[in-house]
Amino acid sequence: MSTEALPNIPAVSPKEPMWDAQRRRALIGVRLRRAGVYAVAITIAVWVLLPIWLIATMAFSTPQDVRAFPKALFPNPISLDSINFFLNADGIIRATGNSIFVALLAVVLSTLLAVPAGYAIARYMFPGRDAVRLVMLSVRAFPIVVLAVPLAVIFLQLGLFDQPFTLALMHTALTLPTTVLVISSVFASVPFEFEEAAQVFGCTPLQAFARVVLPLALPGIAASAILTFVLSWNEVFAAILLTLSNRTLPAHILYNLDKSSDPFKFAAAFVMLVPSLIFIFFIRRYLFNMWGQINK
Amino acid sequence: MRPSLPHFHCPYLQPQAFQLAFTREGQSLSLRAEALPDASVTGTLPLQTEVRVIDRQQLDEVLPNGATRPVFWYYVSGTDANGATVEGWVNQRSLFIENRRTSETARVTGGEAVREWTFDHLNRMLADFRFGTAVSTTLLLMVLIVPAQFVLAIIMALVLQSQIRGSGLFLYIYAIPLGISDLVAGILWFAIFTQRGFLNSLLVSAEIIELPFIFIQADHMAWMIAIIVLAEIWRATSIVMVIVVSGLQAIPRDYLEAGEVFGASLWQRLRHIILPLLKPSLQVALILRTILAFQVFAVVIAITGGDIMTVLSNETFRWYDPARFNNPSVAAVYAGFIMLISLAISLFYMRAVRSQEEAVKA
Amino acid sequence: MTEILIQNAVKRFGKFVAIDDVSLTVQEREFLVLLGPSGCGKTTLLRAIAGLGMLDSGRVVIDGRDVTYLPPRERGISMVFQNYAIFPHMTVFDNIAFGLKMKKTPKPQLTERVQNAAKLLHIESMLERYPSQMSGGQRQRIAVARAIAVESPIILMDEPLSNLDALLRLEMRAELKTLLSKLGVTTVYVTHDQIEAMSMGDRIAVMRAGKILQLDQPTRVYDHPVSQFVGGFIGTPPMNFLHGQVQKNGAGYRVKLGDYHLKPPADLEAALTAWDGKSVLVGIRAEAMEPTKSPSPDAVQVNVDVVEMLGAQNLLTARIGDDTIKVSTSPDFQVAVGDAIWLRFPENKVRYMNPEDGQVLNAPSLEKVLA
Repeated sequence: MSTEALPNIPAVSPKEPMWDAQRRRALIGVRLRRAGVYAVAITIAVWVLLPIWLIATMAFSTPQDVRAFPKALFPNPISLDSINFFLNADGIIRATGNSIFVALLAVVLSTLLAVPAGYAIARYMFPGRDAVRLVMLSVRAFPIVVLAVPLAVIFLQLGLFDQPFTLALMHTALTLPTTVLVISSVFASVPFEFEEAAQVFGCTPLQAFARVVLPLALPGIAASAILTFVLSWNEVFAAILLTLSNRTLPAHILYNLDKSSDPFKFAAAFVMLVPSLIFIFFIRRYLFNMWGQINK
Repeated sequence: MRPSLPHFHCPYLQPQAFQLAFTREGQSLSLRAEALPDASVTGTLPLQTEVRVIDRQQLDEVLPNGATRPVFWYYVSGTDANGATVEGWVNQRSLFIENRRTSETARVTGGEAVREWTFDHLNRMLADFRFGTAVSTTLLLMVLIVPAQFVLAIIMALVLQSQIRGSGLFLYIYAIPLGISDLVAGILWFAIFTQRGFLNSLLVSAEIIELPFIFIQADHMAWMIAIIVLAEIWRATSIVMVIVVSGLQAIPRDYLEAGEVFGASLWQRLRHIILPLLKPSLQVALILRTILAFQVFAVVIAITGGDIMTVLSNETFRWYDPARFNNPSVAAVYAGFIMLISLAISLFYMRAVRSQEEAVKA
Repeated sequence: MTEILIQNAVKRFGKFVAIDDVSLTVQEREFLVLLGPSGCGKTTLLRAIAGLGMLDSGRVVIDGRDVTYLPPRERGISMVFQNYAIFPHMTVFDNIAFGLKMKKTPKPQLTERVQNAAKLLHIESMLERYPSQMSGGQRQRIAVARAIAVESPIILMDEPLSNLDALLRLEMRAELKTLLSKLGVTTVYVTHDQIEAMSMGDRIAVMRAGKILQLDQPTRVYDHPVSQFVGGFIGTPPMNFLHGQVQKNGAGYRVKLGDYHLKPPADLEAALTAWDGKSVLVGIRAEAMEPTKSPSPDAVQVNVDVVEMLGAQNLLTARIGDDTIKVSTSPDFQVAVGDAIWLRFPENKVRYMNPEDGQVLNAPSLEKVLA
């Protein structure tokens, strides 16, 4: 170690920083900036969380408290009456069942279709590969509104109207482009060398896919399945057009909104919100992968 | 002669929508070159047309049980839908005629089912008094929501990228609305702004006002717009944020550090480095958000009920709804209108961005 | 006086200590190279000077001004980045002019300085083009032009040549060196390439694990490494390290190497008393030995295991005891595998080190003697 004289500047020990004025000012500046960033971050977080907190307050209050004015910021007493009232209302259990059925079917269908399609797009050069990507992206750009009306009429003509599985088909069609692109990016992130290595060491291509690629791609595929579930669970426009007596939960709630009491509405909003909160928590790390890919 | 369109079940949605929007079921009478059911068609006449009977023929018609009965065919002349005079043979069952053997005139009362082009549905949409307000409200919402979302999303993304502690938690919180449906978001903000809602609770408790203020009512259009704008910004900024963050992550740190070293302040870095490099991501987000902004639906219904205020997708639903207008054709015209207008704006964006780039390079 | 002073700098990333209490002075107009393997903290140190990433403690003084907590733009520095960081959405002109624009330099002056910088780097014909159309070498030139256009007295360079191919790197090396000395700027240059460091630096700071091991002129670092690590890191082939036995020899000491005895310099006697009977590391450069094909009384006999003919030299590999030794000879020195040769170790070329921590024995006095 070279030890040199330090002209003009008195030596400092790392343990005793010099608290001269300039340094203090600079430090205060740095801290102020950081505090500013935190203030903005927390403000935005409050903006996002406050409405959720308020609706949770409503959901856990008694129906009397929900109707009360002025309203409290905390449920007092905490009660499941409003949620029970909502869940026991006419048709809610059935609608929830329909929603889950539709969402699960959409997840299964879109995953089954998207895994081979995504793999093909990620791995193979085939004629029209770019065209396929482009077409899928353009389908993404079609408004649900535009697709739903003619589809409803077709289903009517075919006698398939008002059946939950047709809604699942619609939701599959809506999410498929996203799912294919996401899954293809997941596959693209697994190096092809892994598969080649597996084949060199005696796997058939199918085995190589099942034993090497699939395990590595599984978390990403699961994330995209969850995304499909959330989209289907939340989708209301196509649902309300394509079903009549077999409404899904959002369609049922929306259709009966003007006849509903506040406790019903607020409990409904909270019940619909909970699965989304949980699912987004699970896929939060994949969000950027998904959208990063779709940006291209 | 008007084209008569075949009936078909089209498996593709866009032609089906087009067919729904621009055709109508109707009946018209085909005039035949000879007094035979399958003779060639010389012209068609709309129902209720008065015709002149020029000639008549009595034929025997064989019934399924083998018996025969007399049937008259008339050679008639009339004015078709285009104003042209057409002549030809028709079966008696398509005409109202006072005396089969002597009357000189008749009226067309029957014909074959046809599908024909029409602008009726389009005209009906345009003539509807709610169409204009639906368009202007939808556009107004878009103009108010989209820019605010971009500003907020960029701020969120910069905060997340500033590597503060707990940025993972903040990311999750900011992403939460991504999983929340527009219906739920609408109810959430309804809970705040309704007459007995949280905002009035606060204002009354704090004695700022004495009585609850009714934000949501027909003559408080500005308030309702503001609430919908807030709800949509709250709900749909996350998706823009995610796109912007993934765009930001793709910008090498080096670029920002080079900016810092060469004297750019935070604002200058944003203006000269981050935003230009973020442009492709912003463009994608802009198009996506614009398309979605034209579909704003459940938020509006949840907050206003959909009657005192309307938007394009709400009109689509009202026309389609079997319990209300039950007219899928007008609904299809609305849907097509939404698609055209969002397509036009997307193209405009892409054009604008491209010409800007060309201007820079030139 | 645009010297850079770093005092007791410490920087941690979580538990990892990237800079471990480093103090350093860079003289005005000096070309100082920070050299070390990846992860040694050299880039972190450079970034601390630049103001990218805050030190946990210690301070940075530039030109007598404490800049520890100042943002980069207030430090009077400019920088060339490893991946150039040439903005893809700006023309070459705008890239070079970036720093000047941020400082709101008047237009005529700005144009003139951009032109001058571009001329110095021979890219004046490309000013209107976009960097996406350029090769790595051209981008490199843009990055350097941008750094010199702002005319700051200090230029920091973070492995600027590492992304160029070998031939281009050789060419840019000489050109950069000339350019920077002509401009008279103070340069801190980070590299992991020891040849680059040797050829460009006025002084080299060899770093490892967040510490500066040695700060000296290139030839001194090469000839008098302070430790086994420095000797092994610098030079191709690296310095040879052999295990020798310290023995008492009359009044003084000698170091036994096989059946050959080295005579350490007299000023090392004091240090060697502690090592009597123990093993020490004997370090010698491959080209410092004098090989002969005939026996010589003061030379050690070895058998050649490998012969590599490299054109400019013949590199021989042999064994002494359990140690492998590489010997660089002139191409005329023709030997075959298995031949016996004799190696003489010139007294002033041999370094003695502690086998446990690799430190040179009696380092300060050695430096003094050879100063």
